[in-house]
Amino acid sequence: MNLSLSRQRLDFWTVVTIAIIVMLSLLLVLPILRVLLLGFIDPDTGNFTLGNFIEVFTRNYYVNGLKNTLFVGVLGTVGACLIGVPLAFFTTRFIVRGKALISTLAILVLVSPPFIGAYAWIMILGSNGVVTNFFGNFGLDIPTIYGAHGIILVFSLKFFPFIFLMTQTALNAVNKSLEDAAENLGCSPWQRFYKITLPLVFPAVSTGAIICFVLAIADFGTPAILGRGFRTLSTIALSAYRSELGGPPTMAVTVSILMMAISMLALLAQRRILSKRRYASSLTNLPVPVRLKGWKNMLVHVLSHGIVILAMIPSAVVVYTSFLKTNGPVFVGGFGLESYQRIWRDAPEAITNSFVFAISAVVFITIASGLISYVIVRRETRAAASIDFLMMVPYLVPGVVMAIGFVTVFRNGFPDVFSAAALLIMIYFIRRLPYGVRSTTSSLRQIKPSLEEAAVNLGATPLGAFMKVTVPLILPGIIVGSLMSFITAINELSSTLIIYDSGTITMPVQVYVAVLDGEFGIAAALSTILLLSTGACVYAVFRFTENRDSAFL
Amino acid sequence: MASVEISGLRKLYGSVVALSDINVSIPSGTFYTLLGPSGCGKTTLLRTIAGFHSQSSGDISVEGRSIAHLPAHQRDVAMVFQDYAVFPHLSVRDNIAFGLKQRRIEANEIRQRVDQVMEVVQLGKFANRMPHELSGGQQQRVGLARAIVVRPKVLLMDEPLSNLDAKLRVDLRAELRRIQQDLGVTTIYVTHDQEEALALSDVVCVMEGGVIQQAASPLDVYLRPANRFVASFVGSNNFLDVDCSGAEAALKCGGEQVLLDLPNQHSGDAVCAIRPEDITVVPGKGSSASDRPEISIPVRIKEVSFIGREMEVFGVTEHGETLKSVSRSDPSVIDLPLDSDAQFCIERHNLSFFEKEPLGGRIG
Repeated sequence: MNLSLSRQRLDFWTVVTIAIIVMLSLLLVLPILRVLLLGFIDPDTGNFTLGNFIEVFTRNYYVNGLKNTLFVGVLGTVGACLIGVPLAFFTTRFIVRGKALISTLAILVLVSPPFIGAYAWIMILGSNGVVTNFFGNFGLDIPTIYGAHGIILVFSLKFFPFIFLMTQTALNAVNKSLEDAAENLGCSPWQRFYKITLPLVFPAVSTGAIICFVLAIADFGTPAILGRGFRTLSTIALSAYRSELGGPPTMAVTVSILMMAISMLALLAQRRILSKRRYASSLTNLPVPVRLKGWKNMLVHVLSHGIVILAMIPSAVVVYTSFLKTNGPVFVGGFGLESYQRIWRDAPEAITNSFVFAISAVVFITIASGLISYVIVRRETRAAASIDFLMMVPYLVPGVVMAIGFVTVFRNGFPDVFSAAALLIMIYFIRRLPYGVRSTTSSLRQIKPSLEEAAVNLGATPLGAFMKVTVPLILPGIIVGSLMSFITAINELSSTLIIYDSGTITMPVQVYVAVLDGEFGIAAALSTILLLSTGACVYAVFRFTENRDSAFL
Repeated sequence: MASVEISGLRKLYGSVVALSDINVSIPSGTFYTLLGPSGCGKTTLLRTIAGFHSQSSGDISVEGRSIAHLPAHQRDVAMVFQDYAVFPHLSVRDNIAFGLKQRRIEANEIRQRVDQVMEVVQLGKFANRMPHELSGGQQQRVGLARAIVVRPKVLLMDEPLSNLDAKLRVDLRAELRRIQQDLGVTTIYVTHDQEEALALSDVVCVMEGGVIQQAASPLDVYLRPANRFVASFVGSNNFLDVDCSGAEAALKCGGEQVLLDLPNQHSGDAVCAIRPEDITVVPGKGSSASDRPEISIPVRIKEVSFIGREMEVFGVTEHGETLKSVSRSDPSVIDLPLDSDAQFCIERHNLSFFEKEPLGGRIG
């Protein structure tokens, strides 16, 4: 009797829960712990030390990196808010033609490869950029894009869609009676906005801002391409890692810990702020967009469309450039397919590698996110709660950090059983898993548990009920989650840069290398392929979701 | 068709006792209803029988064979859910066939049995509809058909009618009873609706605080409630304090005391229970005499509400206790002004007595 009891407790979902915990411990917790541990070890003696941190906080090289990171992170976020919040206000409170187009373009900006913005702006505003040369012809020396202001510009234009989409959702949910009441009590429209509406959507704005900030400080491609001596923690971590090859990556790891600490602190700060502001919204009185007249109407339209067009310029430039006639790295005027011929001849493996790695990772993500979501949503155990928590961690750990952790665990510690390809698939899997889990989880929360109980009650095993009832019902969520993880996996740059070797180069890495070599034609052609696959996925996501915008957040 | 035996069942959530000392014996073919307020443990008990919760101790057996440690999908106890739980991605036919396919029954037989059961629950025309094209009542018919088509040993129903509107609830209720009797399937039914419980059941099992208070026929539960809780939960009841200080127990009626013939000479505090429908309202002052077969309690009229076939009269006794009467509408009473005097008359044999505490047992 005792035996059968314990056997019954070890049911299917318990086994799955254990398997998930083991997997997350190996692929997520262990690498991060290794990074943390290495930061406190003296590379020469192997003893415990705080010396690495003392060095980071005293040497100008690192201190400036920290200052620079916070500087571009904060200002990039502020810039994104200054663009995103007004845009959200315009599209929800006024009748703006082409609202769907604005949202779609914002989403395309959001999912397009992060480094494209940086190098496309070089082609426009760089030392040999189109606009720079145009003004140069008139003897005007306009400031180039390189340095902090360029990075801030790129961050603002790249990350504003988070703020825009989240604020838009929140603004749509504000009870109009509250705004009416404010007006009735004597507020002018402007007072009403900043005294009532803005505070009500503040939780959404701050959530969006934290996402921007975390992504901005973790971003590697933009400062690497636009920095020109302006170093941030992520570029410092990578060069430290490169210079420490062969020994323990102590300084790379110490800088990494600093980056993680900043992300964590930002998140904790936001949680603290939000915990005091919980506004239950009752959707009794939905806001009605107002039709503006005359110059105000013009202004709102010009601003709304102008913002998204400006943000789309990099992608347009990239696609345009890819079709320019080239001779080697030089654009010779006119159109041609030389860039595509060159990547086909010189770098076909970058294309196949990118797709093979991303698709393999997504296959595992699809399976794992179905199982993980079920455990998180349906099992009210402490294990389920900790899995739910762990699913937040990959968002907070910069790619450079995760990759260094991976290398220290699976290269230097283990016998060398994992090829670079396997490591890349593993790291894409663990870093992009949360996208799949989040989408699947929100689908699953809509499904009544009684449906699975009914299936079990009618004789289906737990796995049978999951496959026959749960999976078909959450399939749209699974597909959207898989597409989102595919988009983010195929555009991954920072951790790939640390792990890849000669046989495993991917498209983003090839773009990065090409940009550094001044091969803008190749970079543009590869980026266009990335943009195309990303666009195709976005289209597919639109087909599978009712609420288009929220799928991407 | 099978008997169900539950013995010594206990269910704990941490230190919270959800079910305690549940002993139930259900003969084959019985319509057995678990009735109680929300949180009384009735749904927990049903879900434990279905295998969705595991018991902390005790045993559940069907046809003498223990199912207490079988996983839910092997128990062969079909359940009808409160929220229908009709699979939204399957047609009506595929929903009903789900359990049969699970049992690897041959396709031809599945078709026959599904067709047959769809006639029984009047869903014949809807075989190829998807669930979202059905009303709530039709969805619940699918839920019922899906459960009975597998010919389960026991049919479990968790408030199957509570999400339906009032008219439909009454119609489907009669149909449920008819189908259950035709099939003769042992049925355990959970509800908080006492009218539903009384109308449907062979046995009504009243629960409170995770404990069975009384399990008996509807008539017994209503006419001879086992304790004060059952008396107050099933039907409505007035409770008047009984004065047990003297040599003989007495009810205070105005200035006088009406001596009561309390059975078994009870010691300790007691209450007297009077059903509202047993009270007749007589306008004006009267006198009560303890030797009459009828007691009359002088009250002042507090509220009279005319609700059609019946009227409800609320009166306050001289000791401040409010009594409710329900009786055939009588214009001479309905026109009574507030605060006028009246007599509430009750025949002695309609009185019952309980110990005063909330779960106090019946006296006599």
